[in-house]
Amino acid sequence: MAKSPPITNRIRELREAQGGMSQAALAEAIGVTRQTIIAIELGKYSPSLESAFRISRVFRLGIEDVFGWEVPPAS
Amino acid sequence: MALIETFSNMSFREKSAWGMGLVLTAGALFYFNKVVGLSEALGRTAPPIIGFVIAYVIFIVIASVIVMSVLAGTAGKEADAPADEREKIIADKAGHWSGYVLAIPALGALWHYSVNLDGNMLFHLIFLSLMLSQIAEYAFQIFLFRRGA
Repeated sequence: MAKSPPITNRIRELREAQGGMSQAALAEAIGVTRQTIIAIELGKYSPSLESAFRISRVFRLGIEDVFGWEVPPAS
Repeated sequence: MALIETFSNMSFREKSAWGMGLVLTAGALFYFNKVVGLSEALGRTAPPIIGFVIAYVIFIVIASVIVMSVLAGTAGKEADAPADEREKIIADKAGHWSGYVLAIPALGALWHYSVNLDGNMLFHLIFLSLMLSQIAEYAFQIFLFRRGA
C-alpha cells in the first residue's frame, strides 16, 4: 500500500455543505475525472497546485481552508 | 454483481487498460501457442514465421478496434476528454516501469544468444519482451488506478 501524502482536505464535507454537490459535478467544474476526485477525497492522491486552487475557487474559499498539512507524529 | 459495479465505477482509461491488457494477453497466448506447437513438431526452436506475426498483428488491430469502440460507446463524452493530471501521472509511471519489463528479458535474450547462438530463440524472446512490456504497462496502469495514483 502506498504511503498517503500528509495532505488532508475537507472536500467531502464542503460538497455536502453545498447542498450535496456530487463528485461528478465537482470533477466537471475543475476538469478532472470523478475517480480523481474520489482519490483526492480519500487522501490517495494529492492534486496539483492548479487543481487545488480550482477546487478552492469552486467552494469560494482559500486554499488553506480546503487543504491542510498533517504530519503524523513520529513513533 | 460487485464486479459489474466495480467495472462501471472505473474511469474510461482504466476500462481501456483492462480491455487492451486482455486483448494483448490473448494475442500473446495465441502467438506463442503457435510457436510452441511448431517447435514441438520440428523438435527444435521454430524459425520466425512471418505469417504468425501478421496474424498476431491483425488479431490485435481488429480486437483493439472492437474493444475500444464498445468502451467508447458506453463512456459517452468521457471517451473524448483528454487524460486528466492523475491519469497522465499514471500513464507516465506505468510507461517508465514497463521499460524495465522490456529491458530485462531483452538482456536475457541477448545473453541466451551469446551462449547458445540460437537466433530463432533470440527472435522469439525479443518479441516476447515487447509483448510482455506492453501487457505490463497496462497491468501497472490498472494497479495505479486501483491504488489511487
